[in-house]
Amino acid sequence: MRAFIILFAFAIASFSGTSVVAQEGHPLKGSWVGEWGPSKLHSDDLLLILNWDGKAITGMVNPGTDNIAIKSATLTPPPSAPGDWVVRLQFDVKDPSGAAVAYTLDGKIENLAFHNRSISGTWKSARESGKFKVQRQ
Amino acid sequence: MTFGNTRVSLLVLAAVLLTVVTGNAHHAKSAKFDDTKPMTLTGVVTLVDWRNPHVHIFVNVKDQKGVVNWAAELESPIELEQNGWSHETLQPGANVTIRGVAARNGSRQVWANSVTVSGGKAVFTVKPPTPPAATGRPVPRGPDKHPLLGQENGKADGYWALPSSTVLAEAGVNVPMNGDGLLRNIADAPKVAPMQPWALALYRNRQVRFLQDDPGFLHCKPPGGPRQLQTPQGIQFVEDRERQRIFVLIGGGNNNFRIIYLDGRDQKGSVRGDDDNPLYYGRSVAKWEGDTLVVDTTGFNEDFWFTNGGLPHTDKLRLIERFTRTDFDTLKYDVTVDDVGAYTRQWTGGWTLRWVAGKDMPRHLCQDNRP
Repeated sequence: MRAFIILFAFAIASFSGTSVVAQEGHPLKGSWVGEWGPSKLHSDDLLLILNWDGKAITGMVNPGTDNIAIKSATLTPPPSAPGDWVVRLQFDVKDPSGAAVAYTLDGKIENLAFHNRSISGTWKSARESGKFKVQRQ
Repeated sequence: MTFGNTRVSLLVLAAVLLTVVTGNAHHAKSAKFDDTKPMTLTGVVTLVDWRNPHVHIFVNVKDQKGVVNWAAELESPIELEQNGWSHETLQPGANVTIRGVAARNGSRQVWANSVTVSGGKAVFTVKPPTPPAATGRPVPRGPDKHPLLGQENGKADGYWALPSSTVLAEAGVNVPMNGDGLLRNIADAPKVAPMQPWALALYRNRQVRFLQDDPGFLHCKPPGGPRQLQTPQGIQFVEDRERQRIFVLIGGGNNNFRIIYLDGRDQKGSVRGDDDNPLYYGRSVAKWEGDTLVVDTTGFNEDFWFTNGGLPHTDKLRLIERFTRTDFDTLKYDVTVDDVGAYTRQWTGGWTLRWVAGKDMPRHLCQDNRP
């Protein structure tokens, strides 16, 4: 009986506490927060602001701090469902001398159907490489 | 009924509720049940859970392993009451035979198309909704000679329901789908509407997941766009001629309403208001073109599916809707979809609705995450 009460109470609590904000349009649109460290050139924190204007994906990396405009962004859907949604972002980061260092982020969308979907993959520049993961807010 | 039976049923109910947090919450029928898998259960009713959005009956069924408790899911209390059932029709302890379709995930759940008590009396059978008999009356008109979309002053209630189609596809396209908008053949997806590649891929993804991610069910998001004319509970127009606006009361979804302005205002939002915060129903302005009300709507958010079946849209969506009361009993609905964010060109679709005279619109209340 005790197990029943616990299970039932948990079910009711779970049932009553769920509230989310959906985003059912272009899968990349929105703000994404995560990490892409460690690196000598940039912080570990990664914030992506992405938009879809009907023809192209535009956006910004770490606005307000590193403030990097995205030069190129692509989303390649799978040829048939289900499958991987492949993301590529390219932009330049300035090193301490002011020289531009080209970066490429390659990742895949996880949990596409969820409002808090994520992108995980790898980043690389001519000098460094690593993994990244961001989650839509 | 014994306490043990009740306890088992409540445990199953708890388990059903628990599935909410694992993604199997309130849903389109197609999302949870496979209509290609018919099944029949015979057992003893242990509990009747008479609540929106779906009634559940719990039944003890004997199988090779002993007695196990099954959950049978039915239509909403509204549909059941329209079919002559009440919450007292079926009582715990009754021997029943349930015919329906099995859950996609193999769990002990069945969608009940019919429930028959021992002795053969059917207490519930799904009947396709039948339109009321045509009245043959002329189109009612207001003082300004425009057709009335709502009820006549001083006359009995009425509302629009029984859509001739509950799915939206480009006019002229004929691909098999069920009433939830689930394609019979996923290869038909590109035919439904002229989608951009990402939108087509997203539509396919929603389809192969059997529409289980539909926020209209999962989170009771309002049925924006054409979808508000696809709900089984229908819609009701309340015309405020003095203030030059029409309220559209929506019987399904989360029981919301939409405002259509006929006062000549521009199609623009309020700064710091809906201009900055797109809406589920957008901003609708309208004018009469002859006997047709032409409604121009922009300013949609991206938080909902604008049609059964999950066709995507973006915040660039603009809808031109045409409402024409072709006779007393018929409302013709045509919609032009203009969304450069999701489609390669404009496209149109539509259907008709029937006037249900003498009745007030049923108020189906979607409840967050209840299966």
